[in-house]
Amino acid sequence: MNTSGNAGVRVMVVDDHPMWREGVARDLTEAGHLVVATSGEGRQAVRVAAAARPDVVVLDLQLPDISGVEVIRGLRAALPGVRVLMLSASGEQQTVLDAVKAGATGYLVKSAAPAEFLDAVRRTAAGEPVFTPGLAGLVLGEFRRLAGEGPSRRGTASGVRTAGPAGRDDGAPRLTDRETEVLRLVAKGMSYKQIAERLGLSHRTVQNHVQNTLGKLQLHNRVELTRYAIERGLDG
Amino acid sequence: MSGVPSPPGGFEVPLWRAVAVFRFAALAYVGVLALRDADRYAHPLVAGIVLLAMLGWTVLTALGYARPRRRGWPLLAADLAAVLAVLLVSPWVIGRTGLAGGVPSLAVVWLAGPVLAWAVSGGRRRGAVAALAMGAADLATRERIGQSTFTGAILLLLAGVVVGHVARLAVTAEQRLQRAVELEAATRERERLARGIHDSVLQVLAMVQRRGAHLDGEAGELARLAGEQEAALRALIAGAPPPDGGAEADPGTLDLRALLGRYASAAVSVSAPATGVPLPAGTARELAAATGAALENVDRHAGGRAWVLIEDEGETVTVSVRDEGPGIAAGRLDEAARQGRLGVAQSIRGRIADLGGTVTITSALGAGTEVELTVPRAAR
Repeated sequence: MNTSGNAGVRVMVVDDHPMWREGVARDLTEAGHLVVATSGEGRQAVRVAAAARPDVVVLDLQLPDISGVEVIRGLRAALPGVRVLMLSASGEQQTVLDAVKAGATGYLVKSAAPAEFLDAVRRTAAGEPVFTPGLAGLVLGEFRRLAGEGPSRRGTASGVRTAGPAGRDDGAPRLTDRETEVLRLVAKGMSYKQIAERLGLSHRTVQNHVQNTLGKLQLHNRVELTRYAIERGLDG
Repeated sequence: MSGVPSPPGGFEVPLWRAVAVFRFAALAYVGVLALRDADRYAHPLVAGIVLLAMLGWTVLTALGYARPRRRGWPLLAADLAAVLAVLLVSPWVIGRTGLAGGVPSLAVVWLAGPVLAWAVSGGRRRGAVAALAMGAADLATRERIGQSTFTGAILLLLAGVVVGHVARLAVTAEQRLQRAVELEAATRERERLARGIHDSVLQVLAMVQRRGAHLDGEAGELARLAGEQEAALRALIAGAPPPDGGAEADPGTLDLRALLGRYASAAVSVSAPATGVPLPAGTARELAAATGAALENVDRHAGGRAWVLIEDEGETVTVSVRDEGPGIAAGRLDEAARQGRLGVAQSIRGRIADLGGTVTITSALGAGTEVELTVPRAAR
């Protein structure tokens, strides 16, 4: 998986729209990737993934049976090393953020050009986070919300106003200044290369910063889920 | 005709059914009393006929009140008249001596039937009117008004008022429920439309754009147009604030995301937090207008491709607009002003200054331009 070249990535396509499934699969095959499975619904996708062992799952967030978040959890339970690239046709909202927290590392709008899509699959397979500016804006907002929310967790993710730098050591994940800076530039549409040039960093370092922000968010999410489970007595 | 609009179906039906059950039960009691006291009646045979008539009337009203259309004045008036007739004929059937000896009238509790019907049909006031009429007739037929007779009339009045009140409550509750159901249906319909659009139109538009983006000429143009429509439609669907976001915000505030979301297109990316960015309505509109002016500037001088970022910092809200146009060299801002480029920038500065905010313009030749608008949340 470290060879990001044309070694051919094992890809699974999950989308309830047959037209899309076929189009995407064709593009992938033409680019030399191996489409190991396709599926139109989430539960089936989770079942099939365990046997098909894809490197990357290209996942439409809106499926008829279960939510994108549930699919991602199922996939990662069945196949811990799998990477998820989300495709969504309808905007960058809470669902995308929830999917990222659940472990997806890439996000692309469906209208992205084929070349852009193939590049995203290749980068996802190589372990590189694929951000859109919209996703970066969501992640930035989420860190600000968590920082302002303080120790009381499990807010309804609504009307909570980030009230400046609240309590310090409350377990809420925080971004370093550099990470915030990088994420803001991603949200303003700059490529990793442009960011590296502007900040005088290596491409790799920029990528690491982005990866770290995702890691913190996902770790926080797991901690929250565990805490929630223990509170509700679901752990034993 | 029934004075108050009775909504279709609903809570009134069980009330009418309860009235009918009460009348039959009351009639059964009357029957038992009549059997016990038959030998003390002056005209036992007539009493039997009257009882049969009462049974017939009870059946008739039960059937009549079951139909909303027949619950009008004719039936209500006839009901009251019928029971009054029974009440008035009682003294003659039972005889003065019987009545004086404590034999109850033929109606007994059965006379409450029309009072309940009036109360259910028209509320407290109508129930009270019927109860007073019935009570007055009852008292009029008595030789001697004892404590218990009086108590009976008062109980009747109370029953009329209370049942009427409850009936009105039920009707109001049903109307509220009706409205809630309608609202919910409308919301669900909107969501269904959004889903439908997502599943069909959006997918096809995105597909057209995707397939044709690299083509030249007319096909490429068509793909670009499809892409623009796709973005606009997507913004429209996503633009409705999620139920947890905008809905519970105070009136008088606007979610900046919704205002700036309108600028999103194939060329303009708008990034924002997942949760609402509420601002006082005036501030939000001015900030959106300033952002629009910045985007117009991008359109005129930098090819139109732009990225907008909304950040909520608690005390302040920042909107950044970045483009990758030719940019402005450091020393050439004055010249740019002469070219008219800063004209727009000045109008942006004016708007933001009025809000007590700051504008930072960062630009370098060949590196695009970035405009950062920061305004305090609480207007000064």
